[in-house]
Amino acid sequence: MKKILYIFILISQISWAQTAFEKGNQFYQKENYQAAITSYEGILNSGKQSADLYFNLGNSYYKLHKVGPAIYNFEKALLLNPTDKDILTNLDFARKMAIDDIKVIPKVGFHKLIQDVTSNYHYDTWAWITVVLAFLFLLFFMGYYFLKATLLKRIFFIGMFAVFIGMSLSIGSGIYEKNRYDNEKPAIVFSEAITVKSEPKTTSTDAFVLHEGTKVFVLESIANWKKIELTDETTGWIESSAIKELK
Amino acid sequence: MKRIIIILFLILSNSLLAQVQFEAKVSKNSLGLNERVRIEFTMNADGDNFIPPNFEASGFRVVGGPSQSVSQSWINGRSSFNKAYSYVLIPSQKGNLTIRQASIEINGQVYKTSPIKINVTNAVEMPRDPNDTPAINADDNIYLVADVSKANPYVNEPITVIYKIYFSYNIGITNWRELSKPKYNDFWSQNIDIKQLVAEEGMFKGEKYRFVVLRKTVLYPQKSGKLEIEPLSLDIDVQVPSNRRNIWGQVLMTEDSKRVSAGSKTINVRALPEAGKPDDFSGAVGKFDFKVTPSKTTLKNGESLDLDVSIMGKGNLKLFNLPKPIVPSALEMYDPIHDENVSTPLSGMTGRITDKYTIIPQYKGSYQIKPMRFTYFDLGSSSYKTITSKEILVNVLDGPNGANSGKLNPNQPVKAKLEVSKTFAYNKQKTMLSAIEKDDFLGSNLFYTLLSLPFLAIPFFMILKKRKEAVDGDVQGNKIKLSNKLAKKYLSEAKQHIGNKEPFYIALEKAMHNFLKAKLHIETSEMSKEKITEILLTRKGNLETVTNFIAVTENCEFARYAPASEAAIQQDYDKAVVIISELEKQIK
Repeated sequence: MKKILYIFILISQISWAQTAFEKGNQFYQKENYQAAITSYEGILNSGKQSADLYFNLGNSYYKLHKVGPAIYNFEKALLLNPTDKDILTNLDFARKMAIDDIKVIPKVGFHKLIQDVTSNYHYDTWAWITVVLAFLFLLFFMGYYFLKATLLKRIFFIGMFAVFIGMSLSIGSGIYEKNRYDNEKPAIVFSEAITVKSEPKTTSTDAFVLHEGTKVFVLESIANWKKIELTDETTGWIESSAIKELK
Repeated sequence: MKRIIIILFLILSNSLLAQVQFEAKVSKNSLGLNERVRIEFTMNADGDNFIPPNFEASGFRVVGGPSQSVSQSWINGRSSFNKAYSYVLIPSQKGNLTIRQASIEINGQVYKTSPIKINVTNAVEMPRDPNDTPAINADDNIYLVADVSKANPYVNEPITVIYKIYFSYNIGITNWRELSKPKYNDFWSQNIDIKQLVAEEGMFKGEKYRFVVLRKTVLYPQKSGKLEIEPLSLDIDVQVPSNRRNIWGQVLMTEDSKRVSAGSKTINVRALPEAGKPDDFSGAVGKFDFKVTPSKTTLKNGESLDLDVSIMGKGNLKLFNLPKPIVPSALEMYDPIHDENVSTPLSGMTGRITDKYTIIPQYKGSYQIKPMRFTYFDLGSSSYKTITSKEILVNVLDGPNGANSGKLNPNQPVKAKLEVSKTFAYNKQKTMLSAIEKDDFLGSNLFYTLLSLPFLAIPFFMILKKRKEAVDGDVQGNKIKLSNKLAKKYLSEAKQHIGNKEPFYIALEKAMHNFLKAKLHIETSEMSKEKITEILLTRKGNLETVTNFIAVTENCEFARYAPASEAAIQQDYDKAVVIISELEKQIK
């Protein structure tokens, strides 16, 4: 009985979140973006998320010309769904709206090659691919082991090895991607304009000024200061209140 | 002897006369500062290239000369020649002054005078013609005044300095020269040109005076603290009435000159208050209006937009910078064209300054130019005021959207290219929500279990296959297994048909037969009572049980055709079960 109650609560919660999502979309349709944001944020506060939700939230902020939150939410959506074309397009639009135009120094080399492949999926997706391949491997093994015809036996034997290699690659990708995910700490500047210092002190000399919506990578932190790196590989110290970390 | 001496003397004196003399003589060696001295350079032979000494360097000013005089006389058949250059000098400083050498070239030889030392003392009272003394003193009748509009202004608050010369009706001014121009250090200054000097009437020291405004200057103090305005001094030639009168009884005027200076003024400049001073304060002081106007807000690709940032009003317009707009990176903004339209009347700068920015959008989209803030110090209320412009939305209708801005090959014919331009994607309508706090699947126990499960299953399948092969290989065993299975099957079938005589006995018989097949490995065709008995006995079956078994088998055949009660059927069934289980135990 208790279990049923739990399930009921769970279902009602999910359906509540779904209706809030649809309500947000209706507000968005009516161009009442502030109400849409409130609706979407309500879902997030209840502990639910999805790439689409962050995407819609980012759109609402974009329409209100709030660059910082817009880029933040698009990046959030991209973390959950890194290949979605719509998210990439709108993120591009939002970046154009930002004040800073910081060069992206392209990374080159072996790591970049690996990263290009691994970043196609979330590491949990890689894990599931691995599991599916493991079962496929079993299937191929059985085919090889139980079938009598030589040709089929050979095909299954080769297939078995191919699947095994695929499995090792996918688990490797998953681990690599997880490492990258854990080490990379992107953040978005939320302050309208913030001076980045060359040392973690307010009295230190000014290094450069960043504006709302700029993406930075947090390298380390001391007290309420964070060492950040930009996409053009310049570094500096910023007050932690000025940025919001994505993870 | 005497004659010889006389002749010698004459010759000598002749030769003495023939000697060239060039010397400087002054009228006096000691004089007062207000006195004049006359210097004469005389020579007894005509010369060229007379170079007078540099009087200015010695501290004298030439007021007269050079005048030249030449005299030649014949006395007793003897000629004497005299030429003189004379100057009238006035000392410009006190002390021991030295007039340096003058030089002249006579008969191809350069002669020089010896330097002359002159002692200049304080001005001396000069005796004057009592009739010539002016009836009034010029000192009391002429004043130079510097009017400063405000003695303690704020930094960058305009103040004016007006130099006026007051003079009474008794005297006249013929000329004036500026001796030193005032310098305004630490001020931004603007002189206001006065085209024509106009004498006006005004009160000064309780008396009626005439005055002339000589110079007007607007000053903006550039730093706080005590700042000094250096004085202006003038040399004025005046006409003062004397006590003499002409024959018609009119007062004769005498010329006089006078030096006047407006004393240096100290201005105490107040710094702007720190309290409430905004961070973005640019130093503007006055009263302003701030406007940001775009030429248009909806643009097509390739069009540009002019953004005018202008400040108009009164204040130190030329002395601060205009705020700079902040635009998104997608809008390319070029350096502004600065335009000043400022006039400076006595009340301070007034007008408008404008920065005109040209903005060219690079990409399609809707962009916002952030509101701009301009802060100034309002002198009226002595407080800081901030004017914030409205945000400007720029809508770029079409244009490249970032990724595809590759240039066309100029050699290629221009083709109407159907390009689906990227647009801002609309909201997603469906979603699958999941919990934010989610455990990682990679590395979880479930993941490892699922991953190892197929591999653990491999040996299991191998064992399974081995077993199957073994079982498949054993033919006899399979038969026994089958019979056993059938015996059990029919027995249970018989049990089901306990109320029904005929199918019961058929099933029971089949059960018995199959039991024998399984146990004794014989076929149905070889079954006869004798053989069964024989085989059962050889397999160490109990004689009694064997007979009972045979009896039940026979009974099955009879009972099918004979009437039998329910109880008898039940009895037969029980008996069969007992016998089968007993035989099972006995037979080896």
